[in-house]
Amino acid sequence: MTTDRGTVRSLDDPNIWVDTPATIFDAVPPYPPRTEREAEFYHLRDGEMLLNLGPQHPSTHGVLRIVLKVDGERVTDLDPVLGYLHRGVEKICENGDWHHAISNCDPLEYVASMFSEAMPVLSAEKLLDLQIPRRAEYIRVLCWELNRIASHGLFIGWLALDLGGLTPLLYGFIERDRIVEMLASLTGQRMLFNYLRIGGVNRDLNHDFLSRLGDWMSKAAVELENETRLLNENEIFVRRTKGMGVLDRDTALRLCVTGPNLRAAGVPYDVRRAHPYSVYPELDFDIPTRDTGDSYARYLLRVDEIRESIRIIDQVLHEMPDGPIMAKIPRMIRIPPGRAFISVESPRGQYSCYAMSDGSDQPFRLRIHDPSYFTLQAVGHLMPGNLIADSMAIMASLDPVMGGVDK
Amino acid sequence: MRTLHDDEQFEFELLADLAGVDTGTEMWVVYHLWSPRSSDWLRVVAAGLSREDPRVPSVTFIWKGAEWAEREAYDMFGIIFEGNRDLRRIYMPPDYTSFPLRKDFLLPDDAARSPGEGVRHVEQTFQPAEQLRQPVLRRAELGSTMPGSAVELEAGTEKTP
Repeated sequence: MTTDRGTVRSLDDPNIWVDTPATIFDAVPPYPPRTEREAEFYHLRDGEMLLNLGPQHPSTHGVLRIVLKVDGERVTDLDPVLGYLHRGVEKICENGDWHHAISNCDPLEYVASMFSEAMPVLSAEKLLDLQIPRRAEYIRVLCWELNRIASHGLFIGWLALDLGGLTPLLYGFIERDRIVEMLASLTGQRMLFNYLRIGGVNRDLNHDFLSRLGDWMSKAAVELENETRLLNENEIFVRRTKGMGVLDRDTALRLCVTGPNLRAAGVPYDVRRAHPYSVYPELDFDIPTRDTGDSYARYLLRVDEIRESIRIIDQVLHEMPDGPIMAKIPRMIRIPPGRAFISVESPRGQYSCYAMSDGSDQPFRLRIHDPSYFTLQAVGHLMPGNLIADSMAIMASLDPVMGGVDK
Repeated sequence: MRTLHDDEQFEFELLADLAGVDTGTEMWVVYHLWSPRSSDWLRVVAAGLSREDPRVPSVTFIWKGAEWAEREAYDMFGIIFEGNRDLRRIYMPPDYTSFPLRKDFLLPDDAARSPGEGVRHVEQTFQPAEQLRQPVLRRAELGSTMPGSAVELEAGTEKTP
């Protein structure tokens, strides 16, 4: 019996033909399939072949490997292989104390770390039943919204890049760099801020940050219009996004997709309004939604969200109260036993955390739910039937971040 | 779960989170649901699963998106979700045998936090269910067209003249 790989002459005896040995270049794993789904996936029908994409590939947005089953140029099925960025953050958090968990959770969502580092902070505060100073709440909201704009700005750039346009990426990076530098002058770090603390924030607003922020706010809306005008009416961009990768309401809910991807399908679910936290109930902003659920709707929705974030920042700056930035709690803190579920609205959807404490200074269990994980799963349902190039664009329009997917 | 999702009184349409938990004595699976109708959270805890052979029915028939969450819980805790079509490891390599988030899985630097005890070696005694450790043999009829199938493995070393 021969394999699909065919036969080659044996190295020992050229007169004997042996099966071609499996090499690392084969996308086929060297073990028998263990599940029904795997058996189905690795069974090739006539004309199909497996194509390995990644783990180092510019359009996979991180260290992701996808085994594609293709029929010509068309993707018929795919099997994402995760784990290349897995660091076991949940286990590390269980083995350090609650303060360590903040910096450990930082690199999860490396594009918008202000949200992932909020996980241990907010859950500890909920378990402590702690009221934090209002100024600290306002500073947090300010940082979250700035970070959301930075993340969405980058999204626009990446989406255009995956469709073959380089210019929006450069514009996106200019905007992002301004915000990142601004946050660096506040927190001391450009990307992994480690800024939130249990009971408040690390440092108070300083002059450098405020002057940069004022400078940026004075032209943010205009810059946004300039950037989006490049794409909104761009023939190529519109034709390659409109009607592509349609994620309708029911499918999105069944796939547990949240955030902009769900709102682009018409469900007005935003944690900031559905389950208000921090000072969001006091702020005036809208939840934009779209009905079509295609790539173009997801792009437009994120642009709308940037506008709403600018509105929020404007209000926060006008209403910023004076006062302390940290609640009065001891440095060595023991969290009372209990279970808490908290969630925030990150740029990619509902970022939530289920924390259990046994009364010691270490978390007993810190389950972190990252929206990118479920978004990436939805990619597997949207790609089949599309050309390879288009499926990459669909993936970019869903905007998963691999740091959070692999935890 | 089916009632919670379908019944008009509840309509918990969104599975917000699926978490495995090892309490040290038993296993839990914790679901968080959200309903657009009442805008309520609901936490469902499947508690009291044995640590030796934790089994729980899968919810992938209701929420397709739970598939990866269940794979993660299987990968980290060894909880077996009956009915999940794709229950294999997702983060750890396929030949990995332990379940890292279990409480008896200790990190090497645990010794640093418990002075005097030294490094504690713990045998990983847990064995996943027999059925999952075996390859899917009933698909063997796919035979030669499916590389790596059981039939081919037997014939792997055969030489063809």
